[in-house]
Amino acid sequence: MKTIEELREQIAKTSYICGSCGSCRSVCPVYREIGWESAAPRGKIALAKEVFLKKKEEKATDQYAQRLQECTLCGKCAEICAAGIKTRELWLNLREDLRARGMEHQNLTQMARQIKTTHNISTFSNENRLDWVDDLDEVEVEVSKAGSEVAYFVGCVSSFYPMSVGISQSIVSLLDRANINYTVLGSEEWCCGFPLIASGNTQQVTELAKHNVEKVRALGVKTLITGCASCYHTWTHEYPTILRENLGFEVLHATQYLAGLIRKRQLVPGNLDETVTYHDPCDLGRNSGIYDEPRELLQAMEGVNFVEMPHRREMADCCGGGGNLAAVDKDLSQAIAVKRVREAVTTGATILTSACQQCVQTLQMAARQEKLPLEVLDVTELLWRSLEE
Amino acid sequence: MEQALQKICGKRVTTDPFECAPYAKDVAYIPGFFVHLLTNPVPKAVVQPISVEEISSLIKWAKQGKIPVTVRGGGSTAYFNSVPMRSGLVIDTNRLQGFSKLELSQGSNRKMVWVKAGMTWKDLDDGLRQQGCAVCSSPSSAPSATIGGWVSMGGLGIGSVPYGPVHDQIMAIRGVTATGEIVELSRPGKDLTKIQGSEELGLQFDDLMGTEGTRGIITEIKLLVRDVPEKEEHLLAVFNSETDTGSMMSWLGGENLTSLYNVHFSSPEFIMTLQEAGYAHEIPLGKFSLEIDLEGKRDEVDVAVAHIRKHVKVLGGTLLPDGVGAEEWADRFKSLRLEQTLPSLQAAEITLPVSNFAAFYEGLSKLAQKTNTLCVTYAHLVSPEMALVMVLYPSDELNTIRYIADLSFISQIYKLGQSFGGKPYVIGLWNTPYLGKVYDRGERERRRQRKQALDPQALLNPGKGYNPPSIILNSYVFGFGMIMIGLLRPLVLKILKGGKGR
Ligand SMILES: Cc1cc2nc3c(=O)[nH]c(=O)nc-3n(C[C@H](O)[C@H](O)[C@H](O)COP(=O)(O)OP(=O)(O)OC[C@H]3O[C@@H](n4cnc5c(N)ncnc54)[C@H](O)[C@@H]3O)c2cc1C
Ligand code: SF4
Ligand code: SF4
Repeated sequence: MKTIEELREQIAKTSYICGSCGSCRSVCPVYREIGWESAAPRGKIALAKEVFLKKKEEKATDQYAQRLQECTLCGKCAEICAAGIKTRELWLNLREDLRARGMEHQNLTQMARQIKTTHNISTFSNENRLDWVDDLDEVEVEVSKAGSEVAYFVGCVSSFYPMSVGISQSIVSLLDRANINYTVLGSEEWCCGFPLIASGNTQQVTELAKHNVEKVRALGVKTLITGCASCYHTWTHEYPTILRENLGFEVLHATQYLAGLIRKRQLVPGNLDETVTYHDPCDLGRNSGIYDEPRELLQAMEGVNFVEMPHRREMADCCGGGGNLAAVDKDLSQAIAVKRVREAVTTGATILTSACQQCVQTLQMAARQEKLPLEVLDVTELLWRSLEE
Repeated sequence: MEQALQKICGKRVTTDPFECAPYAKDVAYIPGFFVHLLTNPVPKAVVQPISVEEISSLIKWAKQGKIPVTVRGGGSTAYFNSVPMRSGLVIDTNRLQGFSKLELSQGSNRKMVWVKAGMTWKDLDDGLRQQGCAVCSSPSSAPSATIGGWVSMGGLGIGSVPYGPVHDQIMAIRGVTATGEIVELSRPGKDLTKIQGSEELGLQFDDLMGTEGTRGIITEIKLLVRDVPEKEEHLLAVFNSETDTGSMMSWLGGENLTSLYNVHFSSPEFIMTLQEAGYAHEIPLGKFSLEIDLEGKRDEVDVAVAHIRKHVKVLGGTLLPDGVGAEEWADRFKSLRLEQTLPSLQAAEITLPVSNFAAFYEGLSKLAQKTNTLCVTYAHLVSPEMALVMVLYPSDELNTIRYIADLSFISQIYKLGQSFGGKPYVIGLWNTPYLGKVYDRGERERRRQRKQALDPQALLNPGKGYNPPSIILNSYVFGFGMIMIGLLRPLVLKILKGGKGR
């Protein structure tokens, strides 16, 4: 764990690299909404330069704090940065410093408290983690089953939010259809900690990481799958760094695992006559490098007319739901989502898919608000639908 | 003020000092005391109009109150071009977005689009590529540079060898004059391309080409575009000396290869600096490199590749394996990665006859050695005869004395460049002392008359491009100051141990 001085030194060094060229401006979904330079990545780095490099503490104002927290952590600025700055890392460091200054947004402080109490992001008790199973008639979901090959880490959103439980239900149905010997952690699944990492609260994540890794190790599974892009990123990129050790089992996103099953013909997708497009979740695509498998699943369904959006893969636009933005400014998050669903509609698609429970939820709300003729689903939900129909 | 502006632009107005502060900066760092000695750059208000009508109303309002107006696009220039010299109104064009359906020009059947001034060149190119077309040329700052910004500047960049400066690709412009009138100007016929003098009434087409927002505001341009080329090849050749590299550049310029799209030079120091940051490891150290980009019809590209291969051999150069050039091309908008090794660089940019490139480079190496300065150089061929050369060298904005001492090196580079037929590429504010190096006396006078005729109140981007706005920036005073600081620079570097030598 870095000391606050080391953290500040690192921020100062990184901000010094920025050449203020502004290449990061037009790709930033937040800047595109707000429009003022202070909201552009380079504007925020310029402020960081003042505070950390030139030691002008008086520049760390409330407006500065607000701007630093108005960011979806989509990483698009890092993708385009003319100086090759790992900006996403910088935003996280800056948020960690904000916490140290006591300038964190109150909703994020509240969320951290919530996670400490319930071990999930909702107000429900963690005992209710498997309520979504009750609606499944034909599939039996076993908890912490010894001898399982695969563990499925469900994630808070598709465990607790009625809008999203279809994702977890589809994933277990698909595993069941492919005769996979799998299990879930039930109430022993704690929040992966992604919302805390996004608030710069790495300290509190350590406890969650230790718990989750210990519980999965105890199962002796070869593979852990996640349905959520942010859980996947946390398990693959953050946990090994936080715990400073290999996890000892493979971690795959559900789309990677299911694509493997289809390749081995252990799972045979069905037919669907639909025009479908795909939104790359930032944490799965740009931030983890997984672009192909979700597309492979979509193209494996006979009858699906797959169309791409203009902004895709490395240059995909954000859904607006990342980086805790909705907790800081719900309208801003929604405005970004609206742009994305509108882009989806221009492709002629009637179904917009993604591979992240948060993205699906955010985009669903935007499509509804705009009354667009667009259904928003997770790739796994569509895959299961093709088999059900 | 805010209320009046809100009547025109609604919520797209700010007078909040926190929001206005970033508009007092551009790409280059200039020590605060120097900035405040000569300028008052923080705008009183920033507005983001969405239409030509709003801009017209803004200008009329500013004219009434004699409030100076500075237009800002991407703010990716480095000479205070888009930063106010006098606090006033900044018109941020970034909400002027989008482009029209493709049109065919009468007669020549070339494809064109109307594009709004605030769109970036990369966004336009990405959008056009969805429809099988592409921009003809773009600056290497395409992700940040706006349409209006590049047209208002020199307009040279990637693709300028076959297509010329961007100004040659514009068929019509919509905009607003310094008095707030909305105009649409078509490209004049060949015999009318030059405006004769101040007697020409009203804003003319050429008034908006490369004049840095000082004569009118561009809101939309009608731009020629091209079909996405059938084939692309990106070669990377390395040479042992600046002479061989210069010869290759001249040869490429003179060979009339129809598919030659871009030629990019990197000095050994540039490659070394990139390698220290973890990039460009496939390029051998100590070599001069040329990225040669070919785009066009399949057979034309193939013929050109074979032809170039032969000539690289003749000059004792080596072509690196396939893929190295393509990787460099993919990173063409990432030239600032060298700041990971050398943050806080200073820079001088000149246009130079390509035939003198090797001699200039040799002179620069000697100057660098003499002054114990690490010069990191790159260049683009921008026409068959001209190169746009960027010389960067390390400084340290955290040390004001060192930084000011280093500023003097820019005038040494300009002086060297001038002896080889080169001149500064951009004016803005900081290069006004060098106006005499860029334009001859007659041209300077003609420019001044034109400005006076079009913008007698000097409302639009005052202080830029015509006369040094302060005695300190007078060419003699400034030149003398720079010579004196230049004399002291070795001492400063020695005391601060900051001179990063070879
Ligand atoms: C990494 C990097 C690479 C670069 N490469 C190149 C290159 O290859 N070629 C090149 O020429 N330059 C290059 N530049 C410099 C700069 O990016 C370009 O000149 C660019 O075109 C400026 O566009 P902008 O939108 O940022 O303009 P700004 O900096 O915002 O403005 C530039 C000038 O144009 C005026 N202006 C802006 N918009 C309008 C408008 N709508 N109407 C009237 N006046 C207007 C402004 O007042 C100002 O005087 C580079 C810069 C960087 C940082
Ligand atoms: S991570 Fe995304 S939202 Fe945040 S500054 Fe970068 S581009 Fe903007
Ligand atoms: S693209 Fe990178 S170097 Fe350029 S302004 Fe943005 S963060 Fe800074």
